[in-house]
Amino acid sequence: MNTLLLSLAVIFAGGILALLFVRQFTLMKLIAIATMSAGCLWGLSLTLSGLFAPTAGMEISVEWLHLFTLAFKVDSLALFFLLPVFIISPLVLFYSFQYLGNKNKAVRSAVSYFLFAILVCSMALVVLASNIITFALAWEIMSLSSFFLVVYDYEVQSNRRAGYLYFIFAQGGAMFLFAAFALVYSHTGLMDFAAFSQIAEPVKLLVFILAFIGFGSKAGLFPLHIWLPQAHPAAPSHISAIMSGVMIKMGIYGIFRVYLLLEAPTPLIGRMVLIAGMITGVLGVVYALANQDIKKLLAYSSVENIGIILIGLGIGMVGVSEQNQAMAFFGFAGALMHVFNHSIFKSLLFLGAGAVLHQAKTKDIDQLGGLIKRMPTTGKTFLVGSVAISGLPPFSGFIGEFLIYYGAFQGVSEHRIPFVLTVLAILSLAVIGGLATACFTKVFGLAFLGEPRTRQAAQATEAGAGMGLVMVVMAVACLVIGVLPEPFIRLAFAGLKDLSLINTFDFSPFFVIIRQVSQTATLFIALFLGIGLLRKFLYLKKEIGSSGTWGCGFTQPTVRMQYTGTSYGDEMVDFFRPYVPIKRIYTGITAIFPGRTTWDIQVGDLAETYYQQWLAKPLLRLLERLHWIQHGNIQLYIAYIILALIVLLFLL
Amino acid sequence: MESVLAFCAAVLIAPMLPAVIQKVKALFAGKQGPPLLINYYTVIKLFRKGSVYSTSTSFVFQLGPVVGCCTSLMMLLFFPLAGTAPLFSFHGDVFMLFYLMGLGRFFTILAALDTASPFEGMGAAREAFFSTLAEGTIFAILILFFRFSGSLSFQEFFTGTNAMNIGGEHGALLLLVIIALYIVMLTENSRVPVDDPATHLELTMIHEVMILDHSGPDLALIELGAWFKLLFYSAFLSQILNPLQLADPLMNGLLFFGIVTLIYMSVGVVESITARFRMNLVPKFILTSFALVFFVIILTMELIQ
Repeated sequence: MNTLLLSLAVIFAGGILALLFVRQFTLMKLIAIATMSAGCLWGLSLTLSGLFAPTAGMEISVEWLHLFTLAFKVDSLALFFLLPVFIISPLVLFYSFQYLGNKNKAVRSAVSYFLFAILVCSMALVVLASNIITFALAWEIMSLSSFFLVVYDYEVQSNRRAGYLYFIFAQGGAMFLFAAFALVYSHTGLMDFAAFSQIAEPVKLLVFILAFIGFGSKAGLFPLHIWLPQAHPAAPSHISAIMSGVMIKMGIYGIFRVYLLLEAPTPLIGRMVLIAGMITGVLGVVYALANQDIKKLLAYSSVENIGIILIGLGIGMVGVSEQNQAMAFFGFAGALMHVFNHSIFKSLLFLGAGAVLHQAKTKDIDQLGGLIKRMPTTGKTFLVGSVAISGLPPFSGFIGEFLIYYGAFQGVSEHRIPFVLTVLAILSLAVIGGLATACFTKVFGLAFLGEPRTRQAAQATEAGAGMGLVMVVMAVACLVIGVLPEPFIRLAFAGLKDLSLINTFDFSPFFVIIRQVSQTATLFIALFLGIGLLRKFLYLKKEIGSSGTWGCGFTQPTVRMQYTGTSYGDEMVDFFRPYVPIKRIYTGITAIFPGRTTWDIQVGDLAETYYQQWLAKPLLRLLERLHWIQHGNIQLYIAYIILALIVLLFLL
Repeated sequence: MESVLAFCAAVLIAPMLPAVIQKVKALFAGKQGPPLLINYYTVIKLFRKGSVYSTSTSFVFQLGPVVGCCTSLMMLLFFPLAGTAPLFSFHGDVFMLFYLMGLGRFFTILAALDTASPFEGMGAAREAFFSTLAEGTIFAILILFFRFSGSLSFQEFFTGTNAMNIGGEHGALLLLVIIALYIVMLTENSRVPVDDPATHLELTMIHEVMILDHSGPDLALIELGAWFKLLFYSAFLSQILNPLQLADPLMNGLLFFGIVTLIYMSVGVVESITARFRMNLVPKFILTSFALVFFVIILTMELIQ
């Protein structure tokens, strides 16, 4: 435990060093990256050894300012959530070495590394915290440091807007969390997390709902997700990667942790999480399909994956309340496995999108095309990431979904309501899988394949070797987890070993199945290689010609005639129309001889529209009326403060 | 040993069966139709040829046919053919196989998009959409079968006391499943009324338009993959339809392939007497199959509890 905190200190020192060496740009980057990576790797080795060590529940507490106790506790779940933090951070840092290449922004880069160190430390502390005050402190530091990281390019107005939106959601979510914590405190008078289980049953439900909203706004739960598609495109790509791959999982951790702390609450909680997961998953992927900005699309796809993870958690929780151990175990294990896998392939995809943005200067799919010929490493790794995120074997995304499916099917013979819910969960997983395939064939097929649609796309060249190397490492990881899942599944199972709800479950027979999954993947690869060889043999000494694409008789095709992202997704998005506001703008043909005309499809976000209509606008109207309070008179402002203090003094 | 033989027989016979469909269609049209061995000739012809690649394409274009063919073969490897045990099987293999099928689709779509052709893009978008809908039906069927038999692999579905066929305990309910699966088969294999393999008007096609630019051995691999896939679906149907388990393995095999041939003939009949749907009707058609299976699932709630 102490050594784990020491490794965090090393990471923090890396951040400080970045500030100290700000004058030597390259040296600064090198030192910061090396120190932080060393800290992460040290932390990773401690985490791994902790996960497989028999002892658990090491605790440490320090008195802070003689006011509060900062308490930390290590258990298997915390250790599991530390894995993505310590694995993704060094990779992303390595990538940033070339990505942050602008010498004129040296100071800003140094500050960015400093904030990055703080973000990594605070994420680790969130996971380790074991009382309310420690958790809230770490949570706030995490939100604030990530906010500043998002507005790295603060000169651009849209980035500032995105940053503010994130800030509002982060702080709004935190308010809900504090309300939940305050509710617990008011019932028990204790700061310690252990107090959560002592409160009355109806209050537990309320606490969970408040915490669910609070954590959900960080994780990207459906109606609370709207900051993700704004903030991720605004942030530098390695920051998007760490936020989408790792930070939003802290929301998942929070939901899981609060659920466990409340101990055997009502079945309602599990059902709520499951339903929320289904809505988030399906709508997330539909919106991803509707968007043409790669990074925005990836952000929506994160919403979708949060949905999948919540489905896993929900299945687990329903399993617990139905006393179905197998369902509970595999649901939770699938959720954890997907957390781990998603952190890798989503980071990979964001880094790939970053490389595209860096080289082609655009992230609009409809402006790209044919990149794989000019950016082969980025293209191939992006392909691997796309297959993995669509949950297809033999890549990593499948493993988590397999566990969730397996858990969900264990619930198929339950009582009526859980049965209907599990059936719906399985069906939504299947639909999410199909739509994710559509979504990622769209991204890859239109941005990387075909012909370049603009000159920028035609002139893009491969990103730096360092960036490429990181992506290759991640892509290989996706394949390895998919083909040899056993050790990684053992990690997820180890993450569950301190959960008193399910740790009596005997999961060893399941490894037979996992080994067979792994053999099937190997068989498939062997068959693939075999048929590939046969194909090679068939093409021996054959005439291979090349010519233009068959245009069905049309001889003058232009690159603009290619299918666009909008047209590719339109039919599918239209299918979900009431939940996806689509605006079609068509100027029409007016004259006998048709002139210039436009056809534009714009897809809004349902949640955003409603927020504007029912929250933002009424709030603005109300605040307009209260404008007189804000008169700019300092004396009166001070009077307000004194008045508020007096009122509070009498109230409390 | 029998399994190996059954698998080999299936792989060898797969190209012949689609010719049955063509024969039936020709009969309806009052023509003689192509010989039953036409597809073998086609494959041999294509294998002998070279290829012309579009200058727009990359290596992904050449990956599509190989992956597509592999995934279809995987289905046959895990499916109990002709009353024998499959070559491979494990509890939970159905998830992996249907997802592998998704992988084949993924690469077929990418290969289509790689040509930069607007027609192929159109076909790809439809393929992605329709198969997503069909996926819902398939998973609903898996839920239903799991509820009946507690099994999660093709082999477990069709063996033991609780085998999923119309002669079994839940035979009546399976009738609806058969209709649903038939619809899925037509969808996934791009047959009429979802798609027309014979039409040459590119705008109306789904699967055929996606492979316009493939030629030579690549095209042969695509065709083989499509035939294996069709065989898998009709084998799936025939296992549900066939209540008999004969003692003699040879008779079993003959019975199996007989039912499969009947299914192919019915596809031919459907293609002769119906027209292809307008594109906007296709989702409704596919969702009908889902509604059927979901209805059965609701029925089971009363039956089992």
